[in-house]
Amino acid sequence: MTDIASGPAVRRLYGRSALSRVISVQTLPYLMVPVMFLLMVLTLSGFLSKSSVVSLLILASLLGLASLGQTLTIITGGVDLSIPSVIGLAEILITQKYADGWSLATIFLVLIGLSVVIGVINAMAPILLRVPALITTLGTGFVIQGIALAGSHGFTQGKVPAWLKTTVSPIGHTWFIPLPGIIVAWVILAALAISFLRFTRIGREGFANGANPLAAKLAGVRSTWVLIVVFTISALCASLVGVFFAGYSGLPDANVGQPYFFETITAVVIGGTSLLGGGGSYTRTVIGALIVAELTTLLVGVNFGVSAQEMFLGIAIVLLATIYGRQSDISTRI
Amino acid sequence: MPISKRPPEAYAADQAAIDTQLAVRDMARSFGETRALDSATLTLRRGEIHALAGENGSGKSTLIKILSGVIRPDGGEFMFQGSRARFASPYAAQHAGISTVYQETLITPEMSVRDNIFFGTDGLIRHQRSKSQEISGAHLALDQLGLPGLDIDRPMWTLSLAERQLVTVARAIVRPWQVLILDEGTSALDAHRRDRLFAYLRDASSEGKSVLFTSHRMDEVFDLAQRITVLRNGTTVATVDVAESSYSDVLQHMSGREQAAALMEETNGGSGEVRSAPSALAQRPARSGEPVLRVSDVTLRASSQPMSIELKRGEILGIAGLEGQGQVELVEALCGLSRPRGGRVIVVDDAGRDHEISSYRDANRRGVRYVPRDRRQEGLFASQSVFDNFAIASWGELNRFGILKRGAARKRYQEYAEYTRLVGSPNQPVSTLSGGNQQKVLLGRWTSMHPTVLVLNDPLRGVDANTKEELYQFFRSLAAEGMALVFLSTEIGELLVLTDRIAVIHEGSMQALLPTAEATNGKIVAAMFGQNPEEES
Repeated sequence: MTDIASGPAVRRLYGRSALSRVISVQTLPYLMVPVMFLLMVLTLSGFLSKSSVVSLLILASLLGLASLGQTLTIITGGVDLSIPSVIGLAEILITQKYADGWSLATIFLVLIGLSVVIGVINAMAPILLRVPALITTLGTGFVIQGIALAGSHGFTQGKVPAWLKTTVSPIGHTWFIPLPGIIVAWVILAALAISFLRFTRIGREGFANGANPLAAKLAGVRSTWVLIVVFTISALCASLVGVFFAGYSGLPDANVGQPYFFETITAVVIGGTSLLGGGGSYTRTVIGALIVAELTTLLVGVNFGVSAQEMFLGIAIVLLATIYGRQSDISTRI
Repeated sequence: MPISKRPPEAYAADQAAIDTQLAVRDMARSFGETRALDSATLTLRRGEIHALAGENGSGKSTLIKILSGVIRPDGGEFMFQGSRARFASPYAAQHAGISTVYQETLITPEMSVRDNIFFGTDGLIRHQRSKSQEISGAHLALDQLGLPGLDIDRPMWTLSLAERQLVTVARAIVRPWQVLILDEGTSALDAHRRDRLFAYLRDASSEGKSVLFTSHRMDEVFDLAQRITVLRNGTTVATVDVAESSYSDVLQHMSGREQAAALMEETNGGSGEVRSAPSALAQRPARSGEPVLRVSDVTLRASSQPMSIELKRGEILGIAGLEGQGQVELVEALCGLSRPRGGRVIVVDDAGRDHEISSYRDANRRGVRYVPRDRRQEGLFASQSVFDNFAIASWGELNRFGILKRGAARKRYQEYAEYTRLVGSPNQPVSTLSGGNQQKVLLGRWTSMHPTVLVLNDPLRGVDANTKEELYQFFRSLAAEGMALVFLSTEIGELLVLTDRIAVIHEGSMQALLPTAEATNGKIVAAMFGQNPEEES
């Protein structure tokens, strides 16, 4: 027997406007890049020149490269807070040892060796000590920072090869390409990172480990190996950024990477990669790095100080994270 | 208006209104493009136990979330105790007297049992109850649910899945409730604990309280409910009296397919005709009869007797037992997740050589694959796509210098999806699939790699009747190809339908190892309680 009163269902479908379809949560960061660029052209007189645009891209490249490893570690379910210290260590190493007369090949080999050691330690410490990467990389960061400061103690003299300076100079060329080396390096490494995440076994296993470590283990994912690779890539990228910073100033400075403590995470979050792991992409971080670079340039251009820049970045993070958070409300999680 | 002048129908209507605890009419709700609920209609009377039936994805959980204030409807009427209701939050629904046990066992693992029972009842600063009230309340609720003596200061993660589920029920019943909603609230419980819970629910309903529940076990629905409301594709298709209908009536309403009922009859009869797998999956020659896994004098606990079982190619071995008797330890020992206290678990390879399993990874390499019990915690990558969830374990095989062979994996997926009728796009997030389809994805993760032994830990928990039926056929065809299956289930009926032999575990020892042909429900239950099954008449 039935006691159903049949009748037309009450329907109230939410109409979606054409505008809301273009500006969705997914497309928002992508749209912000040209919108902010337009804003800069309108507010900063004389901005629309090659050298200012290239300067902007250099800024974005430095952040983008430093955030490459950060993106990988966050997707894998961790985080790498030692990045700024590794940048500092690499910067000290190249400026001082080059001045001491070491060959570039030796310096780079030492840097690669150090990066691998740091990467392995950062990957293994959370597993062996059962402490989150947030804590262990904070610790290794302090240790590395200490080593870098001790190494640079008393020395303010440094030297870098001339070609290194052109790689970060707005008027630099790379072979036939009329762009400085750092931008070219960023484009190549970005393509590699995106492919790595999408098309390699370690990339996919990284996502799985970040999404659900227990299920990953039961599905046969080689978590330890994945983490070693990811944290090593992160240390290598940080070293590379340190080398580029050396080209910038030419002088040893162990603190040169410190702003990147939060900025790498900012670029990842503004791009839309979840800090919880298991999702996101490096494409998103590229967008995030561009947005942060634009915002910084814009604020500097209208004469805002460092403190005001940080305030604006803070507001941007919260606003964007709030919008991304709208993707899933509590009802989809129960 | 003088009462005497009212027509008699008006009294009947009044009486119906008084008898009605909760009424929903034409309830609708969409999630983006998906219309989860189209036109749901439901009347829950006072003192009634009412079942909500429907296949996975029919809208049961959505309706329940609306009733309990988790989500708000797009349209429709909702009357609660005679007045219009629209709950702004789960708290508001609880406050009004609707207590809900959700499908997922929502717990805070690090907090104590007591805190898990009472959280959400306190104000920001002031506790609503004193500590002693909380302690006695928790003990009372746990007693009523058949968990007397459970230490309420233990952290939640130390509890078994069944105990956790009962704690979520306790959380619902410590609040003053008029309507209790259980969404798959019995899925982790063994027969004994389930009966205990049912007794509690019957007592409560005799006091005029109402219960609304969902279950994928048709026997439970018919055992407990007085009426059943059936949802299909988000619409109520029927409300039936249990006394006047049969399993097949309800199944027919659920699926809209006539053959579903016939299928169910067939399996209940146990004829178990094996349908052959399509050629793509039946590549391996069936070599039934050769041993593939040997459990040799394994002891699970300090006090338990050693047990020995030999598993043959093409055999389905069922594992039964009351919750916490050691069957989970046994299954975990088989796939290398834990080492037994004594004895050895041995895999026999194609050449007939013995290998003792030393670790989970080792077991995997030797072709022993494990499908875990808790889909959400141990199986799924919720943020990943269906295809990524399916393919993750295959990449070890399907790569060239670490670069994925996506094409080959896609092909595997398509073959599997077609064969098991896995619906939806491979690119959609796996979390948007229904429970049954999620389970298909997880089964595909391993079966597409042709394991020699597939260890299944209660794989059909929370899967709807029709999907279950499909998966029984799937398991049989895997066995027909020569795969050996170990199948742990909390449902005896399922073991009787599917397996060749059934091992019953009691207090860490194997109480009985029965050929299914000779087994009966009674014999298995007897063994589960430590009796000799042969003495059962």
